[in-house]
Amino acid sequence: MNWEITVSGFGGQGVLFIGRLLADAGFNAGLDITWLPYYSGEKRGGMCSCFVNISDERIGSIFITHPDVGVAMNPAAMKMLEPTVKTGGLLVVNTSLVKTKSARHDIKVVYVPTVEAAKELGDETVGNIIALGAVIANAQVTTTTSIIKVLNQMLSKDKKQLELNKAALLKGCEYS
Amino acid sequence: MSNADKNDYENVIFARPDIMVDRSTHFCPGCGHGIIQRLVGEALEELKLHERAICIGSIGCTVTAYEYYKVDGMEAPHGRAPAVATAIKRCRPNLVPFSIQGDGDLASIGTAEIVHAAARGEKITIIFANNATYGMTGGQLAPTTLMGMYSSSTPDGRNAAQSGFPIRVSEMLATLDGPAYIARVAVNSPANVRKAGKAINLAFRTQLAGLGFAMVEVLSMCPINWKVEPVDAPEWMVKNMIPQFPLGEFKVLPAVAALKKADRE
Amino acid sequence: MPERTLMGGNIAVGEGALLAGCQAYFGYPITPQNDLLEFMARRMPELGRVFLQTESELAAINMVYGAAAVGFRTMTSTSSPGFSLQQEGISYMAGAEMPAVIVNIMRAGPGLGNIGGAQGDYMQCTRGGGHGDYYLITLTPSTVQEMMDLTMLAFELADKYRNPVLVIADGFLGQAMEPVTIREKVKKLPEKKWAITGAKGRPKNLINSFEMNPLDHPRRIKLLLEKFERMRVHEVRYEGLNLDDADIVLVAYGSAARSAITAMNIARKNKLRVGLVRPITVFPFPYQPLADLAERGCKFVVAEMSGGQMIEDVRIAVGNQNEIKLVNSYGGVPLEADPIFETIDLLM
Repeated sequence: MNWEITVSGFGGQGVLFIGRLLADAGFNAGLDITWLPYYSGEKRGGMCSCFVNISDERIGSIFITHPDVGVAMNPAAMKMLEPTVKTGGLLVVNTSLVKTKSARHDIKVVYVPTVEAAKELGDETVGNIIALGAVIANAQVTTTTSIIKVLNQMLSKDKKQLELNKAALLKGCEYS
Repeated sequence: MSNADKNDYENVIFARPDIMVDRSTHFCPGCGHGIIQRLVGEALEELKLHERAICIGSIGCTVTAYEYYKVDGMEAPHGRAPAVATAIKRCRPNLVPFSIQGDGDLASIGTAEIVHAAARGEKITIIFANNATYGMTGGQLAPTTLMGMYSSSTPDGRNAAQSGFPIRVSEMLATLDGPAYIARVAVNSPANVRKAGKAINLAFRTQLAGLGFAMVEVLSMCPINWKVEPVDAPEWMVKNMIPQFPLGEFKVLPAVAALKKADRE
Repeated sequence: MPERTLMGGNIAVGEGALLAGCQAYFGYPITPQNDLLEFMARRMPELGRVFLQTESELAAINMVYGAAAVGFRTMTSTSSPGFSLQQEGISYMAGAEMPAVIVNIMRAGPGLGNIGGAQGDYMQCTRGGGHGDYYLITLTPSTVQEMMDLTMLAFELADKYRNPVLVIADGFLGQAMEPVTIREKVKKLPEKKWAITGAKGRPKNLINSFEMNPLDHPRRIKLLLEKFERMRVHEVRYEGLNLDDADIVLVAYGSAARSAITAMNIARKNKLRVGLVRPITVFPFPYQPLADLAERGCKFVVAEMSGGQMIEDVRIAVGNQNEIKLVNSYGGVPLEADPIFETIDLLM
């Protein structure tokens, strides 16, 4: 197996974090992993991408040009990812910020209003986890169980955040 | 006093400190550096630092300072002795690193290193030999060259429009909270040499007591580049240099003052 | 069983330094290696070791010089502009034969450039970098595991040769996370009789690069040059992949080598006979293996994240008979697999 995933958006949208959850889930499964943040100079609000490779073989490039899965959290990300996702791949689009539609027919495109969906859970900051849920529901990268295990480790000290993140993940899984 | 000296003479009243190597120096006639080297040697000897002192050679006329002492030594790049000394002290606190830095080394190329070592209160000892000129490279403008003073790179004399003003390092560093002891002395007369020796000794004891950063600025003669006869250089210093760089103590932490007081008693 | 964990490249350098017994770290913040400095700020004092954030990279390298002189295993880390500032101190250390590890997590230059990863310091690293006749063993990790392993090796080689050793990686590799197997801690550090620890029970030790007598200096340099020659003979390291039947050989290091592996795999799937030489030391450079491949008639593709610097070493190895193509990125942009594969395709 060999998964190449690119998550892209503004810094502060939790782009790196959902990449990290995928990487940890893959690592826990004993697979080879690379996780690479890629961003402009600003600490917040600049363009930010995260490249995650998950493979049962030695991974070559740490950069991803043609992802199997793309997550476009803002319009610039949409512009970058929409043409580059591999045929047969998946593109998750955050419709809270991206108002365009994909013209591709050779990939699966899932539209998720991450902010609105997160607001329904009472906290708009978990939009990224909702997008991650949509990834898991529509591509066999990993399972909700594996991600929940990682969340349990990472957020063990903050039960409220943990429950919120779990709920967001499951809510994201409803999109297809 | 070395044993060899004692054996050869019956009533020795003045001899080379045993911690100093028996050799001639490379300094020019009338230069103050030899006196400074000796005062440092006397302090090292009195405080029995043979096995603990580390002499850090700086760039300029003090470059081979480590040749004159029988203690471990090393060479620092131009201006960087305070950084080198910082590491030595932090890695092996029992060692006693010191450096004799010239005015170009300390007050020009090494200003960042001296200011930050002082600000951190590094427990090191710096002897700042200020002779208002670049001795080794041939008498160019120094950061401490006096207004109107000739140098080989200010042939018409230092003027403010071109070269700004001389830096009073002791006063400047004394504004910081890190230093424990800062004084300016001179080696132009026997009385001042004795005072300079005491200040240098105190700067080492400040380090030994772990009280913080200690620096003694020593005004030193450079007759060759001042273009005066060696015998006239001390008087030249009194007339021209001391008015710009007044002698005295600029920072004495109470704990350092207590060390001094213990001396007198 | 050794511990395996997901770790960032810069942190792996820090962990490797701790395992290798690094006793003193000095550094100044500069992107993209700040996480390493921050890691050391926390871990070194916890272990009772020396950490100091310095006023500049100049001060940092001179503190490393001082710490090396008193016999400590010591290091600094920086990124390209800071590395330029450190050349003075590195030259002094090479002249005074002081062992230390300098980590350069490279970003794009010249000047302030860009914080994106790059490999533009290749010449500066492999040709000494500062003034005078000297060389530094230069290690080039291309995985996070190697960030740890080669940092540990760097400390060994520094002490073995009494010379500074460089570990260079582009900023991307510094930021990347990968699984890492934690290595065993170095238990015994080498004795250093030359160190300045106080002249107790022995004549004084002196650490310098200066000879007052000009006639003495060539003799000192001759000894240094002989030492660099021993490095050339004994310390060449590289990884060769798919070389047995290769018609085209990729030459790449660091994260460019990772992209080259992907390009090679695509080529192999397309039935193209492509191999890879990945230098692990760029000084000393693996000239001989490349010369042997040239002798066999191979063509070469040099993939690097600079205007074309390592290609000069490949030219030295290969000569003028064989075709050599450069594929590169610069200005802080990654070199991806696609352009490397396209360059292979052009050569076929």
